Formats: sequence, structure tokens, C-alpha cells
Amino acid sequence: MRNPLADVTVPILDDLIESDYVRSLIVGTVGVLGALLVLGALFPDSVAGDLSGIVFSASTASSTARLAAPIVLAGLGGIFAEKSGVINIGLEGLLIISAFASVYVASVVGIGNAVLGVPAIWVGFLAGIAASTALSGVFGIVCIEFKADQIIAGLAVWLIALGLAPFMSTVFFGGVNTPNLGASVGWEYSAVMVIAATIASWWALNRTAFGKHLRAAGENPKALDTVGVSVSKVRHAGVLLSGVLSGVGGSALALSIGQFVGSGETMVQGKGFIAIVAYLFGNYNPVGTLGAGVLFAGLDAVQIRLQQLGYAVPDTLVQTIPYVVVIVVLALVGRTQLPEAAGEHYETED
Amino acid sequence: MNPAVHMDGITKRFPGVVANDDVDLAVERGSVHALLGENGAGKTTLMNVLYGLYEPTEGTVFLDGEPQSFDSPRDAIDAGVGMIHQHFMLVDPMTVWENVVLGNEPKTWGGLRVDEDAAREAVVDLSERYGFDVDPDARIEDVSVGVQQRVEILKALYRGADVLILDEPTAVLTPQEVEDLYDVFEELTDQGKTIIFISHKLGEALSAADDITVLRDGVNVGTVATDGVTREELAEMMVGREVLMDPATTPQEPGDRVLEATDVHAEDDRGVEAVSGISFEIRAGEVFGIAGVDGNGQSQLVEAITGMREPTDGSISYLGEPMAGESRREHIDRGMAFIPEDRQERGLVMSYDLTENGILGSQHDPPFASGGRLDWRASREHAESVIEQYDVRPPNADAEAESLSGGNQQKFIVGREFERDPDLVVAMHPTRGVDIGSTEFLHDRLLELRAEGKAVLLVSSKLDEVQGLSDRLAVIHEGEFTGVVDPGTVTEEEIGLLMAGEALDDDSVEGAAVHDAATDPADDGGDGGVDA
Repeated sequence: MRNPLADVTVPILDDLIESDYVRSLIVGTVGVLGALLVLGALFPDSVAGDLSGIVFSASTASSTARLAAPIVLAGLGGIFAEKSGVINIGLEGLLIISAFASVYVASVVGIGNAVLGVPAIWVGFLAGIAASTALSGVFGIVCIEFKADQIIAGLAVWLIALGLAPFMSTVFFGGVNTPNLGASVGWEYSAVMVIAATIASWWALNRTAFGKHLRAAGENPKALDTVGVSVSKVRHAGVLLSGVLSGVGGSALALSIGQFVGSGETMVQGKGFIAIVAYLFGNYNPVGTLGAGVLFAGLDAVQIRLQQLGYAVPDTLVQTIPYVVVIVVLALVGRTQLPEAAGEHYETED
Repeated sequence: MNPAVHMDGITKRFPGVVANDDVDLAVERGSVHALLGENGAGKTTLMNVLYGLYEPTEGTVFLDGEPQSFDSPRDAIDAGVGMIHQHFMLVDPMTVWENVVLGNEPKTWGGLRVDEDAAREAVVDLSERYGFDVDPDARIEDVSVGVQQRVEILKALYRGADVLILDEPTAVLTPQEVEDLYDVFEELTDQGKTIIFISHKLGEALSAADDITVLRDGVNVGTVATDGVTREELAEMMVGREVLMDPATTPQEPGDRVLEATDVHAEDDRGVEAVSGISFEIRAGEVFGIAGVDGNGQSQLVEAITGMREPTDGSISYLGEPMAGESRREHIDRGMAFIPEDRQERGLVMSYDLTENGILGSQHDPPFASGGRLDWRASREHAESVIEQYDVRPPNADAEAESLSGGNQQKFIVGREFERDPDLVVAMHPTRGVDIGSTEFLHDRLLELRAEGKAVLLVSSKLDEVQGLSDRLAVIHEGEFTGVVDPGTVTEEEIGLLMAGEALDDDSVEGAAVHDAATDPADDGGDGGVDA
């Protein structure tokens, strides 16, 4: 099936985007937004007018940035892990653990205090990253050294975090939700981190020797082994990076509010799974993942605003959109390319 | 001057096995050296020692007279030894240059960027210098196997290899690509590189190498110059006794009609007609051979006969009864043995041990099936007897099929099928990947079956094999027989013409065809007498 949008070129982006598929995604999204803007300007009193007012409002932009940060960052992390051959479906758990750890450490330090000149909220931020990285390290050891099933181990990461974070919150704060810190990280920081991480990830994957090794480890680990590069080291690095990036995402999510919400599915609410959808949708390309993450977060933000304006949009329906989209994309387009050796253990001969 | 490679008194012991026993090997700079031997002779072990994968139990490796001690392949690479494995170590979705420089990427920007231009240039330089025609930006998955092999050679050269080891380099190549590879050898040795290649094919060693070292049972039997040795001498060195390169068939009067195919049509998996109206018959005590280039409908014809594919038209009768469309199990139960072309796909269950594989197809029959359960003791005895009679190594009924080498897997399948006591054996490439000693044995067994009055349908792309064993030989081209000839009188050139789809008008074709269609001395009693 030929995608008609695939032929449209975006000259500035061409160097960044090697696949037609991602290009058509971006062109399509920009096209829809453009049409909405035009329709909204022509008919300001229609639904299109309302929608355009919401979509292009500053509050939607900030809330999109806030919601997109965990999706995009965990998605980028997922790319690193999966490209190296380790499918990390525990991203959700990494987001949860970092969201809790960041708030906890920030409150322990105390807002207004600082450690080595670093304000408490940023100390919390780093702690969230550290917690997520540590958990991903355990996941990596279990999968790579002890050859556990990656899917089972990933589910374990999620379930452990899902149980542990609200439990710790109850122990330390007397309830599954932590009290509000009374301070937060502005959405602008989230936006900058997301964009910087996307560019850095793209560069790391496509231009550095590490990126080539990562890809070889996921596609044909034996080829990498025979040229003298340790497959397990590369895979550990990929998994740890998924922990670092998810940690940034989880901390940004919690600290943008200043609170950890541990009831139900916790405040992460499946964003780790949507992150997997986002990088599959983006075909393992960081730029595509950014696009998909912003799209999903944007839909969510718009849905929230629409409800506030009195439109009866069922939120559960909107939240299924990413999953429906990925199934449609995978079924119809089928361009997503799972690394050949993803999910397989590798054993060196000597 | 010191030889480029000198392996002195190499002994490599594994628990319970001596893979190399005091082997000496000396290879001159700028020469092509073939390491010849049967499966399991210790060729690959010796090269793994040279490549640093194994540490020798005893002995020393010298490169240019300098003693070496390798802890890992990395050390060997640094010392200028490059290995090209039989199964290529390439990353399919990556480009040629990415694969060549993998692990040794040139970098700029303080290591933050792979210097693509430098990498591409290095690949282009190397491939121009050695006359390789390789596009550095092509993806591996898009290029032919021959080109992939060159990329492997480029990888070794890029890492500064002076000595190149190739493991069975022609196994995956087309005849034309093999010729090209020999040209590459010449170009490399002209520029001072030294090549050692592992092979079990005599012809290949004789046409490509300057010197040949023959290994047998882990011992160096001798090193000879290619000029001063014949095929027969080499074969004897490899096997340790005189080898009859041509199996001896004795004339024999064919008996009752066993298989009769009439105007058989069949399609391939894509629904394209692959067999277009083939008719023939095979009688008891007769070997009917089918020669042809692979992919001319042999597979579909054989599948139609063995009950794995329903013919679209025509009839197949076996022992006087119509067979087309009957189940596979029915075919087995009526005594049709089948040696499939893809042994790993259809001949064996790779994760089963030999005991389990040995009863595949007989699992419903006594003594293996008794009262709704399988009799593992009987099964094991059966597997062990096949292993012993057909010299399957290692002789262990508990070994999983995938742990055996290809040749030994094949011997086990052939043994299992021959021991079924069949009326008809359908054998497709029965000796593919099997070393010469075992090939000779399998050929003898095939002829014994013939002498016992079994019918044999032999499909092979090895011309000397079908020609040497068959009583009548059909040549297939694009789903049709271009001729049925007498293998005793037909020349190779004539078969070649038939394989290319040209018709012959001479006597040998007509004579055989007439025999096929009209003269049937045993026909009268035949049809009625085979019911039992």
C-alpha cells in the first residue's frame, strides 16, 4: 500500500527524517492542524472555532507539554532498549518509581533548602532519575545476565513500582497521595527537556558509533561480538538509558504538579504504555516518537479542555485513541520494523 | 623467508575428544592454501586456534616467524588474521560501509560522530584496490550473497588482515559467484595477502588452491601442491582408503510397476503451475533419476508423489492403486519412504533427540506404538541401530538433532527412511552436504535397495550422482521432461542441453523413451500381482 503523503517533502526536516513514513506523519499532523486553524478562523462560532480556540491556546500548549514529557521521554528510552535487543515494557514502572522518588526526595530535602547549591526540587528531579535508572539496571541484569524473559521481567518492573510507590507514600506521608510540595517545575522546562532529549537521542542513534553498535546488538548480535564489541555491555547501556530517560519523564510529570498521586493507576496512568505505542508509531525514530507523543498528549489536553467547556467528550474513549491508532498503523502501514534479535538472549561462544 | 603462517605441533583436546593431534601447517605468503577434509576431521578447530577462538592444548602459532599467543579473536585480528565465517556476520539492515567499519568506526568531533566520509572512502579505496565491485551505501539485505561475502572480506581487510581464513566459502555461492571468488583470491594473493580456506570439496581445492593440506581424524595426512596430485589421490588421503568415485551398477531386469505418474500437473505455493504434464513409471528394482537445475518443478513433483501437495491434474498410482490426493499418512503407511530436500525443515524436528526423530512417521506402528503409548525402549533401540549402521556421529541417541552436523543429520534421515522397508524410496538430494566417504556408503545402500527389488526415485542436482546411479534418467526443465535418456550412453553435454530446455533428436533419447512407453516384459503379471 502506497501512502500518498509519503511523497511530500519538507526540505528543512529532510536531513533529520530518513523514513517516508515519519515524514508523512508529520505532514499529516501539520495538515490537520492547519485545516483546523483555517476553519476556526472562517467560522469562529462553530465547533471548529471552539476547537481551534482550544488547540491554539497557551493553556493547551502548556498542558500538552506537561503530558507529553513522560510519554516522549519514556518512548525515547524505549527506543534505546529495544534497538539494543531488550524489549522494555516496564517503562510504566520506571515512570511511576521516578515520579514518586522525585517528590519524596524533594520533600525530605525541604522546599527552600538546597544541597550543594542545588535547590530541593532539582535534587528531587535527580533522585527520580537515579531511582528509575537503578530499577532499569536491575531489569537489565535480570534480562541480560540471568536471561529472564524480557516481557515477564518488564511486567514485574511495572507491578513492583505500581505496588511500591503508593506503599512508600503511605509509609512516609500517611496516604497513597503525597501532600503538595508547594513548588513545581515549569512546563517550559519540560518542553526544553523533551526537545533536547529528542535531538540528542536522534544524534546518538544515527550518528555515533554507539548508535551503530546498539543497532547491531539488536539486529545481529553475533556480528557485533565477532568484531570485538561486547554485546551485553551495549545492551546494558541501552537499558540504562531507558531508565535515565524515563526518570527524566517521570520526575518532570510529578514535579510539574509538585505532588505524587498514587491512587488507582497512579498519576502515570498508562503513559508508559502509551510511550511504547508512541515509539512504535514513530517507527523507532526519535523525531517520530516526539510527534506521536505530542499528538497523543495534545489529544488528551484538548479532551480535558473540551470537558471544561461543557462538551460531553468521554475521556476513556479519548484515552483509547493511541492504542487504536497503533493497531491501525501496524495493520495498514506495517512499516514498523522490530529489530531482528529483539527479545532474544545472546550468548558469546568463548 | 619465514612462512606467513606456521602452526607447529598443534594439539587441541576437548573433554573426551582429540580434535587436532600434533598438526603442522605452513602457508607461504601470497599463496592460497586449502584445508581439505571430511566433516569432523578437525579443519574448523584448527582454524579456530589460528583465529584465537580456542587456545591450543599444545603447540605454537607463528606469524612471519614470530610466536603468537592469542587470548581472543581480537588478538588475532590485531595480529593480522581475519576470519570469514560460513554464516556471514553482517547486520542486514545496515549499509555496506557501516558493516565494514562496525566496531572500528573512524570518529570525529571528539568521538561524538562517526566520520562517515572517511569510512566510505576507506571502503571505496579497499574495494577499488582489490577489484571488488561494491557499493558502500547499499544495504546488506539488498545485495547478493556473493557481494555479502566480499563485504566480509572487506571487513577483514579493513582491520588490517594479512591472512584471511575462509570457512567453506563456496557453500552458499552460485557457480558464477564461485568463479568470481577465485578471481578475488587471485587479486588478493597478487597483493601479498595469504588465504587459507576450509573445504570438503575436492574440485574446489584443486581449482582454487596452490597447496592443499588434508586433515583426517584430527591428523595432518599430508600437504601437497595442487599441480602434482589427482582427484583420486586426494580422495584417498581424505577417506583413508581407495574411494570409488563412480558407483558400480550391475544390470538388472526391472520387475513390477511400482509407481506410475500420468500427465501430472501441480502448482507451487504462489499458485503458479510448476509441473506441467509429467508422465513416467518406476518398476521394482529400478532407479529412476531426475536431473535438472534446482527450481524447475522437482520439488512440486516430489511433493505431489509423496502426498504433500495435491496435483491439479493427472493421476498417480502406487502399487496399482490411485494415490493422488491421499493423505501423507496413507503414503507412509503404504510403504513409501521419503528423503526430503530440506532436512531441517521436513526431515527432522530439530529440538527432538534422535530417539524421537527415529520414529517420526512410524509413531503409529508397532513396535513403537503399543496400546496408546509409545514404547521408548523399542524406539531407542531403533535409533541406535540406525546410528550404528549409518555411522551417525556422535553415536548418541539422546543427542538433539540440531546438535548434529548437516552431514550426520542427513545420514540419520536416510537411515531412518531406508530402514522403513519401503517399496518405493523417493530421495531428494540424498547426499547434499554429506562428505565423500559417507556419500559412497549412501550410494551403496541405495544400490542394495535396488538389488532387493525396491523402486527408487532419485532427484539430485549432482549430475554425476544421478547419472551414476540411475537406470533411466529424466531431465526436467520448467516443469516438463525434456528427455528420458539412458544414463550409460548419454554425454554430459547432452544432459546439459536438456537441462537448458533444448530437445535432443538422437537415438539415446528415443531409445529410452521407447523402452519407457512400449516395451514392458513384466507388465502382464505386474498389475495384478502387487496388491498384497
